[in-house]
Amino acid sequence: MTSFFRKLSWLSRRRQKEDELQEELQFHLDEESEQRRAEGMATAEASRVARRDLGNIELLKDNTRDTWGWTAAEHLVQDVRFGARMLRKSPGFTAVAVATLALGLGVNATVFTVSNAVLFKGFPLVDRNDRILYICGCTAYGGNVSYPDFQDWRAQAKSFAGMAAVADLRITLNDNSGFPEIYTASQVTANTFQLLGRRPMIGRDFTPSDETPGAAPVAILSYRFWERRYGKEADIIGRTVRVDGAPTTVIGVMPEGFFFPQNQDLWVPLTPTPDLRKRAARGLWFAFGRMAGGVTINSARAEMETIGSRLARVYSRTNRGYVPTIHNFREFFLGPNAVILYASLWGAVAFVLLIACANLANLTLDRAMGRSREISVRIALGAGHWRILRQLLVENMLLSGLGGFLGWWIAKWGVGTYELAAANPSQPWFHHVVDYSMGYRAFAYLIAISLGTGLLFGIAPALRLSKLDVNATWKDGGRGVTGGRRGKPLSALLVTAEMALAIVLLAGAGVMIRSFLNVYTADLGVNTTNILTALLKVPDATYPQASFFARLKTRLEAIPGVESIAIANTIPTAGSLKFPYELAGATQLEEQRRPKLSALLISPAYFRTLGSTVLSGREFNNADGASGIPVVIVNRWFADKYWPQENPLGKRLRLFNGKTPEAWRTVVGVVPNIVQNAATRQESDPLVYLPYREKPAGGMWLFARTRVPPGKLGTTFRRELQASDPDLTIWLGPYSLSERLSWTYWNRRLYGVLLLILAALALLLASVGLYALIAHSVSRRTQEIGIRMAIGATARDIRKLVFMQGMLPLGMGLILGLAGSIAVNRVLKAVLIQVSPADPITLIASSATLILAAMLGCFIPARRAMRIDPVIALRHD
Amino acid sequence: MKPAPTRIELLQGTLDVLILRTLLTGPSHGHAIAKHIQRTSEDLLQVETGSLYPALHRLEAKGWIDASWELSDKAKRAKFYRLTALGRKQLNIEQSKWQAFSRAMELILNPLDPEVQ
Repeated sequence: MTSFFRKLSWLSRRRQKEDELQEELQFHLDEESEQRRAEGMATAEASRVARRDLGNIELLKDNTRDTWGWTAAEHLVQDVRFGARMLRKSPGFTAVAVATLALGLGVNATVFTVSNAVLFKGFPLVDRNDRILYICGCTAYGGNVSYPDFQDWRAQAKSFAGMAAVADLRITLNDNSGFPEIYTASQVTANTFQLLGRRPMIGRDFTPSDETPGAAPVAILSYRFWERRYGKEADIIGRTVRVDGAPTTVIGVMPEGFFFPQNQDLWVPLTPTPDLRKRAARGLWFAFGRMAGGVTINSARAEMETIGSRLARVYSRTNRGYVPTIHNFREFFLGPNAVILYASLWGAVAFVLLIACANLANLTLDRAMGRSREISVRIALGAGHWRILRQLLVENMLLSGLGGFLGWWIAKWGVGTYELAAANPSQPWFHHVVDYSMGYRAFAYLIAISLGTGLLFGIAPALRLSKLDVNATWKDGGRGVTGGRRGKPLSALLVTAEMALAIVLLAGAGVMIRSFLNVYTADLGVNTTNILTALLKVPDATYPQASFFARLKTRLEAIPGVESIAIANTIPTAGSLKFPYELAGATQLEEQRRPKLSALLISPAYFRTLGSTVLSGREFNNADGASGIPVVIVNRWFADKYWPQENPLGKRLRLFNGKTPEAWRTVVGVVPNIVQNAATRQESDPLVYLPYREKPAGGMWLFARTRVPPGKLGTTFRRELQASDPDLTIWLGPYSLSERLSWTYWNRRLYGVLLLILAALALLLASVGLYALIAHSVSRRTQEIGIRMAIGATARDIRKLVFMQGMLPLGMGLILGLAGSIAVNRVLKAVLIQVSPADPITLIASSATLILAAMLGCFIPARRAMRIDPVIALRHD
Repeated sequence: MKPAPTRIELLQGTLDVLILRTLLTGPSHGHAIAKHIQRTSEDLLQVETGSLYPALHRLEAKGWIDASWELSDKAKRAKFYRLTALGRKQLNIEQSKWQAFSRAMELILNPLDPEVQ
């Protein structure tokens, strides 16, 4: 402490200390020379020797001054000031460097924020997301979790502090305030909120008595729903609403921003109905548990597997081969591909940053060479190497600090834009659940990469300079170490690396885009333009669907602009029902080995409405399915597979309802393939179509072919639907079919475009890097080029000379990059559709793009070189 | 200048203790301190001026020595350093450390000589 205060008092009398030091040293010199004289030296000689003995007096003073204060901190302040001055002196360089850094750092922080939000944050407002594990039984059975299994897990598992279960459902809600509307609800066990660590903000939580069969129905609302439908009325608690017809008491409202496990409007207790109590009925979405202290995901997994196999032994009929699988948030809700996609985005931004770093290293290297005179003066005056090095690093840190500051705003903008672009309408829950705010983590990450970047691009030039040979610099006419021998290979190497990184990114983005295009341009077998579609919830299975549809059809077809109307139980590309089947005349198979067949329920005019044409036979008519002989329409795939070279019309097949065979059906039509059961749209399977009146379904898709853009008819449609039947609810839509189908490739397009943007950024930076290298070398070689021209070199020769210099890094970079991208793209294999990771077309196209950009980068300096006037050039200093 | 007998490079941290020890005999200025060390070590130790003054100022900052401007024996103004109580304590610590160190070095380098203390 004493030392601290002494230094503090010295701080205020710096001048005086300075004078005193001067006097002290002068005294020393006087003493020394006097002593020498006493030993018999001549006066002049004596003072000269004394002076020499003292050594480098400025260095001595500097070292002494260091002891007066907090040297490190003071030097840092000096360095920062000096650095800022130097940067102000070359605004062009500073602007380019800061812009490059801001871009590189900004995209990094963006991807960090986004992937942190998506992969790691989990549900908002949930206590310790990382301790919650999701359990389902995703096996060959396809189903999820049955209530009895869940109860056994909960009773037996010791890895969990508690376990709860969730089922997902849509409900129709009636109250006095408006029409019935469809809402999303989750059925949850009573302990759900307690396990998640959140209580309702008003009202009460569920209690175990709420989930006993026969208990009075209760519901807890989400904040958003309470706000939207009830205007945040406080007396909502205790009010009765009708949920799917049953009077239900509202008992609570969850806090704002709380969603689990989707953006539902309300939660109701999961009451075990007799149907749910069947072990074979795996109707729950998932179970989840909070890990007990000291439990890891692996130990929990091991325990659940043990419990699973024990249950499989006891209930072998329903549970054989059924293993409960354990996932964390990311594995369960996003799947393995999400990690690949975010990792590749992360890789891409890392590449962009590396390229930016290489560019800056070259820029600062150049600048440092230009400053070698200044620096050799400083070394000659006694500046230590460490001091010089630090000065240069501080300058870089200033640059990267500024870049990071701007990068923060770029990231803010980037995250906002991503949030909008990523709001995939097919996963609306995701949009609400993910919290994209940029917290302290993003800030810390940005600071860390900014510092790292500053170090990385600063180290090579700084080391080079600090090793500067003072004598050589001066001999060089003080013009600096001409970079020449030592500077260029490093710069060229950096540009080579940039080229290689750019090609890897281009190729990666290329295969992703190709993969998206394969999905996008795939032939679905339908003409999706001008089709309006909506999913209707048909009130009851016993509802007279035929008359209802007839009524609907008449009403809707009367709307001007509507050409034809049809309904079906699913839309193109989506999944269909599957039934065991057999063909007439084929050998009969036992029950287990009977093959299954995809079947769609459709109305008359389905093919006409979707823009497909019946190949032979006819569409269904109004009588089909109600009376007469049972009929079926098959697609071309089916016909070709089972009756090649034969006329399928009149052939017979039958389906099984479980084990019971249905009546034999006669094929009345063959239609072109329409893709079903394939979100990636690459294959179509053998399909049959059945009249919709045979198998009433709870939800039906309505299709309307229109003569005008379908968006214009949405409101009229909604009004007419409501008027035709007040009990009818529109579950989804109406929207255009092409819009609805775009949901399936939404993410694919998003990631493809994101990678493409990053690749374009990388390409831009890399070609600027090449440009800078060539331009710099041209300006260095002005004199040489002048001489060449003077002794007869033509403009062509000069152009060749300049281009050749760019071709080496380009060629090397291409080779390295292509090899690299073949290795790197393999990571993407799982998310690629019909594209090889080493797709030759993509590789060629990316190479061509890079070569073109590189040519452009060489062309500008080459033109400048060709215009050099030898007379002026020879006088060039 | 006659070639000095084998000079020893000062070990890191030794200069401080030499300065403190020198000042034990009384206040002195920088030049005299250097000469004293040189003389007392029979010219084995050469004090570099380049490190002497930073060392003096560092010890002053630590509060182990104090400085004041006084008149030298030749009646010139000089900066005199004197040991403080804190410096005296520090010298004791350093001294015993050095004695232990030099004894250890002796024991290892001349293990057979029983007379060495």
